Parts: sequence; structure tokens; C-alpha cells
Amino acid sequence: MKPLLMTVLLASLLVGCADKPVREASIEDRMMASGDAGTQTAAPATPPTSRTPPGAVAQPATAAQVDASALPGEAARTPAPATAVQTRGIDATAPEVQTIAPAATDTPGVSTVRLDPRDPAGPLAQRRIHFDFDSAAIRDEYRALLEAHANYLKQEPNAAVVLHGHTDERGSREYNLALGQRRAESVLRALNLLGVAENRMEAVSFGEEKPLVEGQNELAWSQNRRTEIHYVGE
Amino acid sequence: MLVKFRRFPRAFDMPLRFLLILGLALVMAVRAHAQMTIEIVGGATNRVPLAILPFTGAPLGVLDPAAVVAANLGRSGHFNLIGDRGEVSPPDPGQVSLATWKGRGADAVLSGQLRTLADGRLEVRFWLLDTLRQQPLLALAYTTTPGGLRAVAHRISDAVHEKLLGEPGSYSGRIAYILKRGGRYELQVADADSENPLTILASPEPIISPAWSPDGKRLAYVSFEDRKPVVYVQNLADGSRRAVSRFRGSNSAPAWSPDGRKLAVTLSRDATAQIYLLDLETGETVRFTRGGSIDTEARFSPDGRWLYFTSDRGGTPQIYRAPVDGGEASRVTFEGSYNVSPALSPDGSRMAFVHRRDGRFHIAVMDLATRQMRVLTDTAADESPSFAPNGRMILYATLINGRGVLATVSIDGRIRQRLSQSGDLREPAWAP
Repeated sequence: MKPLLMTVLLASLLVGCADKPVREASIEDRMMASGDAGTQTAAPATPPTSRTPPGAVAQPATAAQVDASALPGEAARTPAPATAVQTRGIDATAPEVQTIAPAATDTPGVSTVRLDPRDPAGPLAQRRIHFDFDSAAIRDEYRALLEAHANYLKQEPNAAVVLHGHTDERGSREYNLALGQRRAESVLRALNLLGVAENRMEAVSFGEEKPLVEGQNELAWSQNRRTEIHYVGE
Repeated sequence: MLVKFRRFPRAFDMPLRFLLILGLALVMAVRAHAQMTIEIVGGATNRVPLAILPFTGAPLGVLDPAAVVAANLGRSGHFNLIGDRGEVSPPDPGQVSLATWKGRGADAVLSGQLRTLADGRLEVRFWLLDTLRQQPLLALAYTTTPGGLRAVAHRISDAVHEKLLGEPGSYSGRIAYILKRGGRYELQVADADSENPLTILASPEPIISPAWSPDGKRLAYVSFEDRKPVVYVQNLADGSRRAVSRFRGSNSAPAWSPDGRKLAVTLSRDATAQIYLLDLETGETVRFTRGGSIDTEARFSPDGRWLYFTSDRGGTPQIYRAPVDGGEASRVTFEGSYNVSPALSPDGSRMAFVHRRDGRFHIAVMDLATRQMRVLTDTAADESPSFAPNGRMILYATLINGRGVLATVSIDGRIRQRLSQSGDLREPAWAP
């Protein structure tokens, strides 16, 4: 029962905080609203789910919303559309969310298999989280990847990670460095929510300096907008 | 831009091209490894017609400063160089036939000579002669070693430019930039005409954001050699350097205070990207911006009273400024949804920045008194603007056919040059 409850809890963490207008979501919204023509064509086709007025900073969720999302039954009843998941679960600025994390840490028996991050065939070989244009929101497809790394880090008290944020090449290098930092911190917060202590992670940015794929097209750019998980000592 | 080039009168076209080729040939003969090429893509509407006579007395194998002066002034877009007919400078400037040169359309003639001194050094004398009033405008002499002739030529270029145009030239300065070739990154310092390039740092990892100290003796930059961005300060004289900002997270965007004692830096230590003032002597940091937004790319105003920076606090990245001594930030840019990378002119009257329009990134300049802005370029991936010491030109990086090149544009947008080389050039900064 306990592992099942754990799984549901984790799922609800990522799916559950759906209704919170978090900062990541508002970045996209602003771009859709005020971006010029070139921006709009490159922007994801995600319809804005919430509008944040210009000047608003990270919008913490209301306590009621977080409480609701923390209930496994509630989360199961309201499966949100996949695109909306981007805006969820990653908002570490909401203190209510952080109180859930220790509960997850305390749950034993998440995995009894010892994983090696160096195993190229293992689940920990998956190290890249890609992002939409001008967004630091983590897409739903990366839930399993993040859970695998979080579980490993919780099993191995000596393991530590550095999260490398990256952007595509367009625009100012220094501004891109800051955007890449936001992507690295977004993954840091997600892992933190999954029970990994902050002092075992460092978020740094490479901006546009280390593209995965060379090229001035959307295919290359979408590959380059990413956060990579690097284990210390590798 | 090439259209503008074709509009040039043929009379200008040929001699300039010839002189440029001559200049480049000389350069190549002297420094076989300098591979930078310069292309002119625009010019002033009113050019001063000028004749530059080869200097006499140069020992064999020694650079003729006149060739460098001709290349400098020719590509500046301000001068129309009047034909080379084999004449050289006469031993006495009084022998220059000013009436003849006036007949050929020249307003002024530059004549000069070199003399080897007893100690082996060289004396360079030059005269700038007015063909209309039939009198000398300027006469100066320099003493130098053969290795210093290029520097002397830049000084002569500055003097002639200022005398004929009434505003200072910017030929003597230096530039710093990053050259990426073969997977390696090199921080180079070169003369403003991109000659004499010296690699002061080479790394397998990226280097960005070089920033000159106000006295021109040190460079701050961001290096990724530690697998994260760390801010270093390097002494140009002896090559010694020090990591001045290596805090947890990312360290970037260094900018010098006018007194050279502090660096504004962007740190992710406490929040994603916030600006701090770092005391270089004590190592102490004081947080300058607060909030959940991105604040980066700080630049001090030349009077040291303001900090200009990029922030997305309003929803899109825009340029703001705040008093260095504390106080509210106010927004400076309003047109468009992406205005970043502020650079202040030496007199503080103008700001250059990157402005996005229709998905393309251009260099723009704003008159800070009237807040009128003007887009200066039509390339699509312009970055990293910085002003020449004379405040009349802006140096920036752009992409041409997918390759990084450096370019300059005059603040009225009329005169443009491009510097390219085998490899990617990026992140230029004009020394103060």
C-alpha cells in the first residue's frame, strides 16, 4: 500500500499543482501577448492558461489550491491536459509545497534496485530535460526521468549533482545565461520537491555557449534549450 | 548594404580599393599570420577629398606609416582618397605642388618622411597641407622604434581626422574580443584596425563578456573553464589573473565602476540572476537588485551615478537604470519586446543596445536626453555593442552566413565596416 501511495503522491506533485499561475507559465503568456511577429511563430502553440500582469513576480499559489492538489484522490479525479502540466509542480516558491517533500523522503521502498548513473542502459543515463521557447517550465514527459534521479540521490547520500542550464543562440549571451540559470533552477526545484536536499545540488548556466546541435533553425534550437544533470565526480 | 557601396562614385571606388589592397599587401608582407580582412559597407555623404603621399626615407623592409594612415582614413567612410600617381613625399613639404593637387580635387595633402636617428630609432615627421589656402594645417614629429611605426600611423590618423573633421578619430584604440576556432576559445586584444592581435587567454571552454578596466590595464571576463561561469580579472601587462567572483551558482556580466575599484556582477547566489557590487580590494559583495526577476548586464554611467541594466521585471527584457547609491529603478526602453545589452557612450549622452524587431536583433542607439531611439543596422543577429573612445562609432558582433564577425557602425548609421577572420569572432569590447 505504501509504495502505491507514494507513487500517487509523486504523481500528484507533478500533476497536481495545476491551477497555480507560476512564474514559468507567465513567461510564456507574456511572450504570447506582447511578443512581435517573429516571436509568435516560434512560440509554442500552448494556449495561455493564465495571464499574469506585467510586473508581477513569481506568484505563489493560494494555500487552498495546494492543499487540494496534495490530496491523491483529488489529483486522480482531475487529470489536467498535458500542456497545462508544464506550469505545475515546480514552484518551490510556494512554501506549502515544500512541506510535502519530506513526506516523500520518509517513504521507504521506493526502489530496491541499486542504480548506477554511469550505466548507459540504465534509467539514470537519461540526463536531459528540454524546454519550450522562452520557458523554464518542465514538461510532463520528464516526470519519470526526474523521479529516477531523485530516488537515486535519496538512496546515495554521497551523490551530488550539478544542473547545467542551456538556451538557444538567439539574443544576448548574458541574458541567455540568466535564462539558462532559470532552467537549471527549475530542475533543481523539481528534484527538491521530490525530496532531494538543496545542498546536494548546484544550478549553473552555460547560456547559449554549449549548443547540443549546431544550426540556425527551430529543430536545432529546440534541442539546445535544455537542462543537463551532471553527477559530481563523474 | 552592398547597394550603398555601389552608390559610391567610381572616382572614389578605385583608388580606395587600390589603397586597401596595397595596404593589405603590405600588412601581409610584414605579418603573415594576421588574417583579418576589413570590408566597408557604407560611407558618409560628405567626404573630405584627401591625398596621402607615401612617406620618404623609410629604411628597406620598414612599414610606411602612410599606407596605414591611408587604410585607416580610407575605410573610415569620412574621406575620399585622391589617386595615387606614383608621387612620393618630397624632402621639403614646400615642394608639394598644392595647386596641382587642388586641380585633382584634393582639399588637403598629407606628406611625410622618416629619418633614422643615431641610436637606431626612427623619427617620423608629417605635414598636413591645405590646397585651398596653400598653407600647412598641421605639422608633427614622432620618435619611435620600427615596431612602433604602426602606433605612430594610428596617431597620425587621429590627428588628421580631428584636424579635417573637427572631431576626434578612434584609430589609436584597442579592442578585445573572443575568437573561436577549432573548438578553442581565445581572448584576444588587438589594435582598433584588428592588427597586432595578441591572445591573452586560450581555453577549451567558452569565454564571454570581456570588459576593460577604465585605465585600460585590466580585463574582466567570464570563463567556463571550471565547468561553470566564473568572473576573472586579468592584468594585461604580466598576464596574471584572479577569479574575483566564484560564488555558488553562476557568476557573470562584469562591468567596471568608473574609479576601477568595483565590479558590478550578476550572481545566482541568492536568486536566479541578480546584480551585486563587488569590491575588488576587499572581495565584499553588496546586493544591488532584489526580486524574482532576471537582472543582468549592468553598466555604470560614465559619471558613476547610475547603473543601467537588463531586467525582465516588466514581463519582457528591457533596459532600466537605478541610482548607484540606492533608489528606485526606472525603465529606459519602451519600444518593442526585447531591448538588452546596454552600453553607454563615453560622455554619457547616448546608449547603444540590442533591439529585437520582427524576430531580428539589431543594434540601436538612444539619445538619453530626448529618449529618441534609432535602429542602426539591418543584420539579424547583432550582439554586444560598445562605443569607441570618441563616442562616434559602435563596435558589435553579428553573423554573416552563419559565421561570427565584428562590425562597426557610426552613430548616424551611415558608415559601417566588418572585420572577419577564419573562425568565429564575437563579444567585442572597445577599450576606453
